[in-house]
Parts: sequence; C-alpha cells; structure tokens
Amino acid sequence: MKIAVCAKQIPDPAIQVTYSNGTIERPEEQVLDDTDRYGIEVALQLKERFDAEVTIISMGPSGTQKGLQQALQMGADKAVFVDDESLKGANSLMTANVLSELAKFLLADIVIFGTESTDGYSGTVPQQVSRYLDIECISYVKAIEVNENVTLTRQTVEGSEKVNMPDKCVISVTAGGVEPRYPNFKDIMAAKSKPIEQVSISDLNIKSTQNLEFIDIETIENSKTGEKIIDEGEAYQVIVNKLKELKVI
Amino acid sequence: MKTLIIGEIINNNLSSGTLEILSKAKSLELDVQVITVGSDENPSIGLDLCKQTYLKRQSNSLNLSKAATKISEIIKNEEINLILGSSTYMCRDLISFLSVDLNSSPVSNVIDFDVTSENVSTVNSINGGESLYKTKINSDKTLLLIRPKAFDPAEVNFNDDFETIDLDGSDIEVFDIFIEEKSGPQLEDSKVVISAGRGMVDKDNLGLIETLASKLNAAIGGTRAIVDAGWMPYSQQVGQTGKTVKPDVYIACGISGATQHQVGMKDSKFVIAINKDEEAPIFQLADLGIVGDTLSVIPKLNDNI
Repeated sequence: MKIAVCAKQIPDPAIQVTYSNGTIERPEEQVLDDTDRYGIEVALQLKERFDAEVTIISMGPSGTQKGLQQALQMGADKAVFVDDESLKGANSLMTANVLSELAKFLLADIVIFGTESTDGYSGTVPQQVSRYLDIECISYVKAIEVNENVTLTRQTVEGSEKVNMPDKCVISVTAGGVEPRYPNFKDIMAAKSKPIEQVSISDLNIKSTQNLEFIDIETIENSKTGEKIIDEGEAYQVIVNKLKELKVI
Repeated sequence: MKTLIIGEIINNNLSSGTLEILSKAKSLELDVQVITVGSDENPSIGLDLCKQTYLKRQSNSLNLSKAATKISEIIKNEEINLILGSSTYMCRDLISFLSVDLNSSPVSNVIDFDVTSENVSTVNSINGGESLYKTKINSDKTLLLIRPKAFDPAEVNFNDDFETIDLDGSDIEVFDIFIEEKSGPQLEDSKVVISAGRGMVDKDNLGLIETLASKLNAAIGGTRAIVDAGWMPYSQQVGQTGKTVKPDVYIACGISGATQHQVGMKDSKFVIAINKDEEAPIFQLADLGIVGDTLSVIPKLNDNI
C-alpha cells in the first residue's frame, strides 16, 4: 500500500498572517500546519498495520523546509514537493490539481489530508483531489479503527456514520480526530536523512487556471470599547443588572 | 444570471443556510432554482418562490460524488452560470466536486456577493473575520460557499411540488449511523447563548453552565478546545469549524477568544465575557467584560437569578 499525505508549510500561526497583493506573505521559515498532524497520524497508523510506504506531498515555497522536516519527524518515509513561482497565490483548484498529480506520480492508493489549512481554510482541496483522481472521498473523518478492516467514522451534520476504507480513496481528517504522535530525539535525528525531492511543475499535467482576481483587503475594526470590571466578588451583580436591562430576565 | 442553489434538508424542511442564500439570490433578481440533496423519505421542500428538484440519495451509501455528477450534468444542460451552497459538510463536498467538473475554483467563506451582467464579485471573511477579502471571478461558471448567517433567511411556504430524482448508491456502504440527541434551546435560533471554554477547568463544572442556561432559556455552546477534549458533542461547537451564532446576548465563560472561536460569535448583539486573563482577546469583542474566575462568578449568578 502506498499512502500520500499532504503537509502544508504555513507561517508561524502565533503571528498574524499578512497579505501582499492578496497573497499570504510567506517567510523563509515556515512550520507544519497542525491540521496536517492529524492526517499524518492516520497515515502512520495505516503504515503500522499494512507496512505501507508513507510519502509527504506538499506545494508552496519550500524555504528552509522546516515544516517538511517536522512531518518526516513524525514518521513519514519521504517527502516530495512542488515549489514554483507560477503557483504563487494559487487558488484551491490549482492546489488540488498539483497535489493530485503528485499523488499520481507516487502511484498512491490512499491520499490523506487535514480538513482545512490554518492559514487559508478554504476547506475544499481534499474533495477536489478525489475528483481529479476519480476516487471516493471519505471526508471529515474523526476516528479510525484499524483491525481486519479499517473503519472510518465520519462527522456528519446530525452526528456520525461509519464506512470501511476502500482500497483507493482520499481521506480528510478533522482536527481532534486522532492524537498525533510527538517525535522523540531519535525520530528527529532520523528525519534528517530521509529523502526530500522537488518535482518540477513541467512534469505535471496542470489543467486549472487562476480564475479569481484579487480586488482589495479591508480590515474591520472589531474591538469594542466595552465596560471592563475586575471581579472582587460582586461583579456578578453587574451582569444581573445588565441582563435585566437587556430584558433577558 | 441563471443560478443554482444546492439545498440541504434539516428537520424535513430546507435548512436555514439554504433559505439565507435564497433570500440573497431573490434580492439580486437572479433566475434561481434549487436542487436539494438528501436522503429523507418524504421531505416537504417544494417552494412557492422557485423551482425545486430533489436528488434523493441512499443514506446507507456514500454517494455524494454521484450527486455531484448529476448536478454537473444539469448545470451544463441548463447553462447555469452561478452555483451557490452553504458552508456545510455536504455542500463543501458537492461544490468541491463540481469545481473540478466545471474547471472553476470555488470561493470559500463568502459573506456577501454581488452579480452584474459582466461578473460576480464576493466579500470573504479571512483572519478569523478580522479582515474582508474582495474577489472578482473571471470564469463562465462561478461557485460560492457561503457562511451561515450571512443573510436573513427567505420567508417561504413549503409544499410538496417538486421533482424527485433517485440516485444510485456507491460501493461504499455506510453503517452505524448515529444521530445526536438534541434537547433544549438550539444554538442556531436562541436569543441567549452561553459558551464554555478551557477556563471551566473540568467537564464536571459544565453543570454550572447548564443551570445558568436553564434559568436564561439559553442554548449551550463550547470552543473547539473543549469539544476536542470530549466535554461536549461537536454539534455544540461555536467557531470557524463549528456553528455561527448571532444571539441577542452571548455569554463567554472561560474563553480566551482564539480567532477560530471569534468567527462563530463576533456578530452577537451583546457579548458578556468572563475570564481570569485580563489580556484575553475575547475582551476586545466584549460589551461587558468581567476579569475574574468564571468558576466563582457563575455560581453567584445562579444564586441570584
């Protein structure tokens, strides 16, 4: 079994994202999107059961490759990425087009994603990749049981439902669905010698185009100048009075 | 412009998200129809406002991709240019599939849009709702995923006048379908919402929130952190990846106010925040902020209301 799992390098999420001409500014050093750790964890659980090969796929400015290293430290075998100036500001469809081509290049049976990236959160790429590959998408997976079969529990609007994992599919994993493993010192050292390969965009079949034109970004002033009270034991009274004023009680 | 709304069924009728998009489409005087995808046996989803088609899927089979193929066919045959859906699990799947078929990237997190004879432009929420990103779509087919509560819902009378198309199942069988029990006031339509965060310290302390909620006839929500920790079911999550609420009064208890959470509640009319940390971002959104231990404030509220 060959598994491709997507890892996106994103700017440190502790720092506010900044935009330049409608595109997220990306520093040299980017980190692994925490959202992807859930997908990588699912891939590693499958690797343990099926002796599968797990390859990280990624698109975007590679920079110091810190995020890719972090993905390899968790236990993936190798990484392939596409980094091309023409993909700057790529929309979700182009991104999915590139990633699906990487999955084809690797002859991947199973392709795994987080549900949506932390910096862009369009939340459509896993499903788009499945459509490009013409295989089913098991979306919003929140639990995995690896036995004789692999059973995936999907989050639904009303609750949940289960499916058995088919031989070929795309899976998107929700944050909190599984507990991502933490690499130890040995894992971190081992990752340094794992292969990271760049794939040229000219080797891929890219059919999509940039159809979204950036116009403007407007910052909204969110902050309110509300009343702020330090509780010294009686602040509840202010809330009670306010709730009366608002006719809640 | 010929427009298609992908409808979703909740409680045997169209979801509020579907009706919100319908009201916007009507206000723009678009030539609109609805195609609803669901597995309900006898939904009442016919509309007095426009044409309705029901794509009936089998609940025991994962076949949304087949629904998308059918919708693509209709879009091409009827030369539809604008396709709209609410940012829900189902519509995200369907619109994503359609975007590949139609070779047009969708726009996510749309909170407003406009249509002229030349093109469609959108306003999208980014950075957890702190900024608005404006886009123009330069393709023949435009696909938009619209955030819930962006518009007021259309007022409609439901009827049984619609065409049903039965979809084939897929090879992937769905089993152990679990429906979360819903009781008490619901997040989407309560005038008062009380939400809990990590500052509640322990799941057992949520009893305090339940007591207060019953006194105020409020719905109960939670942050992603406590939902991930298993304190509450996902259906009660408020935020980017959960529900969007717009109550008259929102009471945030022990919530720091990560952008993930802010997106889901920042349009509440009056926000009361209780948090120990004076620097917590939630206070920037609060009309009334109490810097204090939520575990000591709530019991006093419960005793005095």
